[in-house]
Amino acid sequence: MKSLKQLLVSSCLLLAGLQVQAQQSPSLKKQSIQSVDTAVLLHPFRGKVQAFKKIINKELNKVFIDFKDNKVYLLSGIGFSKQYINTGSYNSIFNYVLQNNNTSFKPGYFAGFRVDGIYKQKHLYSFAFTLDKISTGTSYSSSTSLEPFIGNFSRFKADDQFLNFSIAAHYKKLLPFKPNERTLFYVVAGPSIDTRLSGQSADNLVNNNYRRFLLRADIGIEYENKSFYTLFMHYKQGVSSFTKSPISTHLNSLEIGLLMKASDIF
Amino acid sequence: MKKLLILIGASILLLSACKKDTTASEISLAYKMISDKIWFLDYNQTITATKTSIKTYVGQSTYFIKFLNNLTTVDSDGITGTYSVRKVNGKLQIYVVARTAGTNTLEYAYEIETLGANNMILYYSVDGVTTKFFYNTNH
Repeated sequence: MKSLKQLLVSSCLLLAGLQVQAQQSPSLKKQSIQSVDTAVLLHPFRGKVQAFKKIINKELNKVFIDFKDNKVYLLSGIGFSKQYINTGSYNSIFNYVLQNNNTSFKPGYFAGFRVDGIYKQKHLYSFAFTLDKISTGTSYSSSTSLEPFIGNFSRFKADDQFLNFSIAAHYKKLLPFKPNERTLFYVVAGPSIDTRLSGQSADNLVNNNYRRFLLRADIGIEYENKSFYTLFMHYKQGVSSFTKSPISTHLNSLEIGLLMKASDIF
Repeated sequence: MKKLLILIGASILLLSACKKDTTASEISLAYKMISDKIWFLDYNQTITATKTSIKTYVGQSTYFIKFLNNLTTVDSDGITGTYSVRKVNGKLQIYVVARTAGTNTLEYAYEIETLGANNMILYYSVDGVTTKFFYNTNH
């Protein structure tokens, strides 16, 4: 089952990658001798990939008609995350002492790619696809105690490590603030869907507490040093609970990162 | 486009449809928390319909029991044997089969009220009288 999941995730990433390539404007380049040589050779796998790409392009072009001027960026950065937990009426025989609980935002990291473009030649947008290694602090809004035997404890122990695949869609708005010709400021907002790829800890397997999907609202500012790089800072607020009822867990993150045009790197 | 939507739908279904054996996970977690520790009796509570009495052993020489990783147990009275964690009528129990120093066989099961990394409360009920044992690993 695990390998099937990995295969599915790989397929999704491949699809996304093909979509990105499909939306790039074609460019005419002079072929090198090496590329002319390899073009003559038979490449069965490459042929299959090209055929698959062609089908996907055809389908996507039917749907994404007004999405123009797409540029692919690579992105990476650091994300500080924290879970806000309300255990509600959750009950379990297990107890977890909260004495040494870390309530601060803990750092993780993320990497992926983003496609920026213009919808109907008017609205700026971006689609981001990232793998997030999330490390979180945990803040419990309620606790129980059995004094003098046990101090403050919770029946639920939040996991603090996740590997998520995140897809985000942003609407971008250029801010009028422009210190010089090469600098642009944007404000971005939109939803993101996180898919938890990592398993749950033994503590949460007992009741399968964590959900697979998480919906978050993303708002942030971006500073673009035109044609070189973009620095961004986004705040992701958990909209849906990351855990099943009656536990309510909101995962919030502050992400700081860098975007660079893929064509500038490769 | 239809195929793509079916593929995405199937992926979501597969990712969300996995169900784990929660009882096995619960027993496995209980073993992890209990084993390789020495549990000292801190309090002993007796509850009847009309009265609750409590005895404290904090700061005193007290009863202790070791649950080892190889599923054997030994206590401060010299009783040795094996233990297992099982679920009966929806409740987790510690089931012990042991022998006294005089080689008499002893068999008992305590239900788990709560269990943590360093504390646990076990109990049993006979004829309307519930006896609770408060164990701690710090003594």
